[in-house]
Amino acid sequence: MQKILAGLLLATAMVAPAWAQSDVSAKLRLMTFGGEAQVKATQDAIARFNEDYPNVEVELGVDPISGGWGDFVSRVLQQYNAGEQYDVYHTAVETLQSFAARDMFIPLTDFIEGNADFEDFDPKLFELTAYKGTTYFIPSTWNNIMTNYNRALFKEAGIDTPSKTWTWEEFADVAEKLTKRDASGNVTQFGYEVPNFFFGLMPWFFSNGTSPITADWTASNMTDPKVAETLQFLYDLIHVRKVSPQVGQEGVENQFFAGQIAMISRGHWIVQNAISSNLDMDIAVQPGRVNNNTVIGFGAYGISSKSQNVDLAKALVTELLSYETQVAEGDLGGAVPGRKSAAETEGFLKFPPSAPLYYETLPSTQAVPSPANFQEVDQIFMRYFQAIMTDEMSIPDAVAAADQELTRSFERLKRVTQ
Amino acid sequence: MAKRRLSDLRKAQMRAGYLFVVPSFVLYALFVLVPVAITIVLSFTYYDISFGADWVWFENYQRFFGESRSITIFWNTLRFAFFAVTGNVLVGLLLALALNRAMPGWLLYFFRLAFFLPVIISAAFVAVVWSYFYAVDFGVINYYLNVLGLPAVPWLTSSKVAMTSIVIMDVWKNTGFFMIILVAALQGVPQPIMDAASMDGASPWRRFSRITLPYISPVLFFCIVFATIGALQVFESITILTGGGPGDSTRSLSIYLVDEAFGSFELGYAAAVSVVMMLLVLIVTIIQLVGSRRLVEA
Repeated sequence: MQKILAGLLLATAMVAPAWAQSDVSAKLRLMTFGGEAQVKATQDAIARFNEDYPNVEVELGVDPISGGWGDFVSRVLQQYNAGEQYDVYHTAVETLQSFAARDMFIPLTDFIEGNADFEDFDPKLFELTAYKGTTYFIPSTWNNIMTNYNRALFKEAGIDTPSKTWTWEEFADVAEKLTKRDASGNVTQFGYEVPNFFFGLMPWFFSNGTSPITADWTASNMTDPKVAETLQFLYDLIHVRKVSPQVGQEGVENQFFAGQIAMISRGHWIVQNAISSNLDMDIAVQPGRVNNNTVIGFGAYGISSKSQNVDLAKALVTELLSYETQVAEGDLGGAVPGRKSAAETEGFLKFPPSAPLYYETLPSTQAVPSPANFQEVDQIFMRYFQAIMTDEMSIPDAVAAADQELTRSFERLKRVTQ
Repeated sequence: MAKRRLSDLRKAQMRAGYLFVVPSFVLYALFVLVPVAITIVLSFTYYDISFGADWVWFENYQRFFGESRSITIFWNTLRFAFFAVTGNVLVGLLLALALNRAMPGWLLYFFRLAFFLPVIISAAFVAVVWSYFYAVDFGVINYYLNVLGLPAVPWLTSSKVAMTSIVIMDVWKNTGFFMIILVAALQGVPQPIMDAASMDGASPWRRFSRITLPYISPVLFFCIVFATIGALQVFESITILTGGGPGDSTRSLSIYLVDEAFGSFELGYAAAVSVVMMLLVLIVTIIQLVGSRRLVEA
């Protein structure tokens, strides 16, 4: 009888956490970003959190990120200065170093290691969020740049599906075959679009074993000959092979959806538009020169170092990263869910046909260079990139000038990071 | 006794006057004078929102005037202001002259509305639409140039053309505003004097240069000052059309200072840029004021 009673007590104790409600009374503030659908997924997560913590009021703030991530960092800094900071922030990789360098978020290494639930996330994602060996953020969803291609145009031109090891040369040949011109020589269909944004360009540098800034994100790497070699390849796609429209034009993505551009380098965020445009699209890996590496960027949750309710904030973050929330976000088509199980659902894998490639290529991704002066690095690099692509500057001149400006920017950054 | 009563009255009037002025002055001080003072102080510091300020004195100004990039941007701003002001006021004046003549009322209102409509549309919308017009490979303008057998023009992707493209869009967007003001001014020119000049055999150009222009010169001067101040602060149209590129060829001071403040977090340097911008607007306005004393008819 005693054994039965003990067994019942033990069973009760084991089951209790599953239905017990906390009577803690507090207020938590959560700042997130995203569209209506993402906000809905967050609100649903908060509702689930409130089932366990009915007396905890969660105030949800949504930042439109209308002025870019640098602007967001500036706003968060002001919130901290005014003592109006949120307890939990949903932010992006571009901001992590800016925040971590200023000790604005608590280290989460122990929390992650002590929570077996996070094993569903690829360890690579946690590696990417570390700053000086400590993890301050937990990844939520991510995007890696893939080669998105129009399957119908490939079939029409008799071109096989790209292999997982295709090279720059093979890619350029395919782009040439997919470029069509009318009788007077005007292009009516481009084979590819050379990206005009920092994130989209990085796969070309990574797949050549280089990057515009050093691997530790502390200095310029523009003088690496491979940087110039990569720029030359992209320049040739526009001006020599003439398979890409000039950079800096509006509506290029729409031209891809309209079937006027055959290949485009984008992340999972274009999937919903491709579906609504009835585009017969699939994805392939980044073409390689020394490897087929691509770039990854991600959203992540961090807990403010000024939060008075750290344990509650951790519980909220756990719910925000739960399987239910991740599946809801993955099915929306905005970004790839951090949980592998959520990226294996029928809803996520139904389109494009090679959707498993998103997660398969994760090991060969490199984080978008995001030092604390990310915004400035982005601006400097893109300014000179556009000057090269529009024939305003020669590659050697632009590389030298960009190197000089980046070096000055990193020198100024030392005032904050040292 | 009478003097004392008057003095009390005057004191009461003065008190009432001050009381009436106080609210607006407090608001002006709070939202204009104090921010200007803080900006000037910030411009002598290296300021980080987390770590506070370090005095660097003239380092930010030395950087601004020592870097070829900032000087290029400074000249871009002046170049844009010169061409945009000239285009806006000149085209506005020509349109006003064209509309200041006898025509059916409905036609007059139609033209006025047509020319004024772009003014009330957000600059952001206008810039997005024009960016589609200007696209090199898929743009509307180049499509028609191609139909006519003419080569495509790199409207926004060549540093030689981009600034002109922005000025064209700016004039299209804003000239209607100056047209409306100048139409009102033209309607104030006394018709009997114009008729007398016609009877004396004065040519249309002579009537315009000797009668119309002197009459509308104060309004014309207002238009020039107003357009100049706006042009020196140009931001959204360039940001959307070219983002300041290619390179820095269309970057204006206001874009530069926003980039530095909220992109690079160089708040002290951005403050110095804004002080330079403020002085630039001040100097240009003073030059115009001094010049106007000779040219504007009282």
